[in-house]
Amino acid sequence: MDINKKATVRLTISRILAYAFVLFFCFMCLFFILLLVVNATKTNFQLQGKFSLVPGTNFLANLKSAWTDSSINIPRGMINSFIVALTTSVLTTYFSALTAYGIHAYDFRFKKAIFAFILGVMMIPTQVNAVGFVQLAYKFNLTNQLWLLIIPGIAAPAVFFYMKQYLEATLPMEMVEASRIDGSSEFTTFNRIVLPIMKPAIAVQMIFSFVESWNNFFLPSLLLTEAEKKTVPMMMFQLRSADYSKFDLGKMYMFILLAVLPVVVVYLLVSKSIIKGVTSGSVKG
Amino acid sequence: MKKTISIVLVLLLVLSVLTACGGGNEDPAPAPGEEGKVFNIYAWNEEFKGFFDKYYADKIPEGVEVKWTIVPSDNGAYQAALDEALLNQDAADADSKVDMFLAEADYILKYTNSAATQDIEALGVTDFSNTYAYTVEAASDAEGVVKGVSFQCCPSALIYRRSIAKDVLGTDDPAEVQAALDSWEKFDAVAAAAKDKGYLMTASYAETYRVFSNNVTTPWVDADNNLQFDKNIEIWMEQAERYVKNGYTLTEGIWDAGKNAEMGKDGKAMCFFGPAWYFNFCMGPAHDEAMGDWAICQGPAAHFWGGTWLLAPAGSDNPTILADIMNTFINDEEVCEALIRNESQFTNNQKVNEKVANDETYASEFLGGQNDVAIFAELAKNIKFQNQTIYDQYMNEGLQTYFVEYLKGSVASIEQVMNNFYTYINEKAPSVVTP
Amino acid sequence: MDNKKKKSISYAKWGYIFIIPFFVVYFIFALYPTLLTVYNSFFENYREGLVQVGPNFVGLQNYIDLLTPGKDGTIGIVRYFGNTMIMWIIGSVPQFVFALLLALVFTSARLKIKGQGVMKSVIYMPNMIMAAAFSMLFFSVFSTVGPANQILAAMGILDKPIDFISIKTSARGLVAFMNFLMWFGNTTIMLIAGIQGIDESLFESARIDGAKSTRVFFDITLPLLRPILIYVFITSMIGGLRMFDVPQVLSKGIGMPDRSTFTVVMLLNNYLGGSKNYGMAGAVSVLLFIVTAILSIFVFKYLNKKE
Repeated sequence: MDINKKATVRLTISRILAYAFVLFFCFMCLFFILLLVVNATKTNFQLQGKFSLVPGTNFLANLKSAWTDSSINIPRGMINSFIVALTTSVLTTYFSALTAYGIHAYDFRFKKAIFAFILGVMMIPTQVNAVGFVQLAYKFNLTNQLWLLIIPGIAAPAVFFYMKQYLEATLPMEMVEASRIDGSSEFTTFNRIVLPIMKPAIAVQMIFSFVESWNNFFLPSLLLTEAEKKTVPMMMFQLRSADYSKFDLGKMYMFILLAVLPVVVVYLLVSKSIIKGVTSGSVKG
Repeated sequence: MKKTISIVLVLLLVLSVLTACGGGNEDPAPAPGEEGKVFNIYAWNEEFKGFFDKYYADKIPEGVEVKWTIVPSDNGAYQAALDEALLNQDAADADSKVDMFLAEADYILKYTNSAATQDIEALGVTDFSNTYAYTVEAASDAEGVVKGVSFQCCPSALIYRRSIAKDVLGTDDPAEVQAALDSWEKFDAVAAAAKDKGYLMTASYAETYRVFSNNVTTPWVDADNNLQFDKNIEIWMEQAERYVKNGYTLTEGIWDAGKNAEMGKDGKAMCFFGPAWYFNFCMGPAHDEAMGDWAICQGPAAHFWGGTWLLAPAGSDNPTILADIMNTFINDEEVCEALIRNESQFTNNQKVNEKVANDETYASEFLGGQNDVAIFAELAKNIKFQNQTIYDQYMNEGLQTYFVEYLKGSVASIEQVMNNFYTYINEKAPSVVTP
Repeated sequence: MDNKKKKSISYAKWGYIFIIPFFVVYFIFALYPTLLTVYNSFFENYREGLVQVGPNFVGLQNYIDLLTPGKDGTIGIVRYFGNTMIMWIIGSVPQFVFALLLALVFTSARLKIKGQGVMKSVIYMPNMIMAAAFSMLFFSVFSTVGPANQILAAMGILDKPIDFISIKTSARGLVAFMNFLMWFGNTTIMLIAGIQGIDESLFESARIDGAKSTRVFFDITLPLLRPILIYVFITSMIGGLRMFDVPQVLSKGIGMPDRSTFTVVMLLNNYLGGSKNYGMAGAVSVLLFIVTAILSIFVFKYLNKKE
């Protein structure tokens, strides 16, 4: 009984420590977001005074001044980022699924070689093609075209690999056969039968590619020079470079909040499936 | 086969949707004799846009749209975007040709000395009788062909805080303060006195940079493109180091928040340097919290800072509007006077400036009733535009950026500062030969 | 059987058709630019102002320029590789240690932590946040007039604000800390999956044998986690080598102080951005690729051999 009691106490203590440990990290992750939200509600004057986490009352005023700023056009940036991120994620997932299905479901010559090739190029870092990519864009006068950031998404080796893994685990070829017997074409079979089965994988990869594209800074900053074509991450850099004197800190925090908010909101809605997606297949990283 | 067609159709559909949101500016070119429908202006900030919208936008003919492309100048970003556009000028369709662009003294040479700009006298901007000579020189190429005009003249003054001057020097009268600060020796002495009273002489190590760099006797690169340091730059570096060490100034950059804080209610800094545009638009806290506690005088040496030139790009499809804008901002006396009286500018029209300078009733509230135009009219006479190179923005920005790391103690030696500075120049301007 | 084979032959063309878009796009937008990058690295090709210099074939000159020591005796690009790796290591060591600890806590049958779903969501969240915006936030929080200094001053620790991003240690520390925050949740979740994938009976029999939990960890958990650890480690390293957004925004693109937060991709961006120096940028890319490949192979071999 005494031993039992001791064990219970020990377990309780370890539990408390474990919770404290985990909660500490949770707090760290939330703290900066909280700080951002709180600071976005304050006036410039309040922000320069004593630090506090009590929200201010200037949220709407900051929102208005950030939203209507003439040199950092955040609504335009958000629209641009949204167009790029959404179309990229649709194209990436659709064509990756299509390619994966093409390789999974059909037997053809060089199939193995092609599969190995895709796996091989998965290892090449994307930055390596940036030089040639930028050069071609300037050569053919294609800078400031948002589609140039979107189309390359069709060929995403890592997403392809994920889809392929998923198909192997979930797609019964009998269903494809049945569909063929019903007389439906191969393309219709893919769209009507295969895609719905792949829904979970597509959803996860769509979110990942949306986020990746929304947050992408390197290539857009080399290709987009016109103010009205800029995406949100470029505006963050512009914010960093802007003359401070003109600056209102409340407005600045509001800019940052607007930049991260869409993704955070989407994330909070579907975080469960994202977390599942991180591990299944272990291809994203 | 039907399926193949359907795939192709889907692909085409996707592509057309994408191109629709990407390009799509294929308006027909203007008929001969008619000018372009879009007037494209490139600038690095909003300053001129404000004046343009207020004093010129009404005169834009019906059916012509003014389109601004504003890229911040930091790290050469504005120049890079502008270069791109100018190099594409021939290939660009009518509506995206650059019709006018703004440039600063630091890199104006690059554009005036190239085929990317055109002779404005041929466009009908010919009357420079009232503009300051240096502004025309700056906008001319090596053969003296004028490629643009400046809408402002930017003699820079010493802006001092009256209450601190009174405490340190016993006076806040501009003439007496000038007498106490008209050489660097005296400036040093006053800095020490200010320090004794618990004040700062300036709030940025780079505050006096322009005063020195405008008066260099050798350009940043020699005839063989070798980077060289002028004596004056070396004197500035010595001064900045000494001032930081003695606690006369701060390690804040000229645009940093920490410097701006010194303009506020509890500000401790006595001197700032800058032209009309600076104290009217970039000293926010001084306006909000210390209105009227300021005055200006020449300081240790004549110099200028900034100034915005309007340049005429070759290939503009709106030459008439372009010439008219230029003429308006240098020769329309009504507009120029409004720029002074309503916008606190010092214009590039000597006649108008003199008129306001002699107006007994004109006084700046910010400067405690001083007539700044009268002071600037005097200072403007001494400005020289000399020894500039196309690399000046990189040189000035790069040197300050890397030098301050030494002042802050994060870089151990001047040699390391120079290494970093040369590396930066090598990356930005590969043809400059660094030591 | 015969029938089936015929069928699959007649459908084979669909395999090609379905993979065509991928390959067309890949060749045009990825492979061709990659080859062009390599090709460029052998040419002098840049723009200075409005003047185009080159392209002139210069052989290996760009590589020689990159690898020639400067006046201070150091080689620029080696320094930047060093900076990149240092910042990656400062961030990733705690990232792996804490991720492993968190994963053990989350999977512990003894502790039975509740609310795991929410907690996992929270620790993964920073990974979703735009690195550029995160960095801008850190810049304002740690600036001389920002909340970090306000807090320290209010606690009486400081009488003068610290300029965090002007001090080598703290500037690198901030970059590393941001990388840590953005990635430790991801690593934790990967490791949780790894631990959950281990056959439960192994733990069971260890427990029956009376093995201590540290023994179980070192003898069972860690060895069986090796494949996933290698995977996470290599992807983290490759990601680390490409570090760009965070230091670029935090240091305003110049890698201050003393270029100590300047990374290889920032150098690439510098060459590509203003002067369109395709030659030097190409050479930097090729070196980046070579270093990444060598390090990955090395890590993979080393960690696998240790068995």
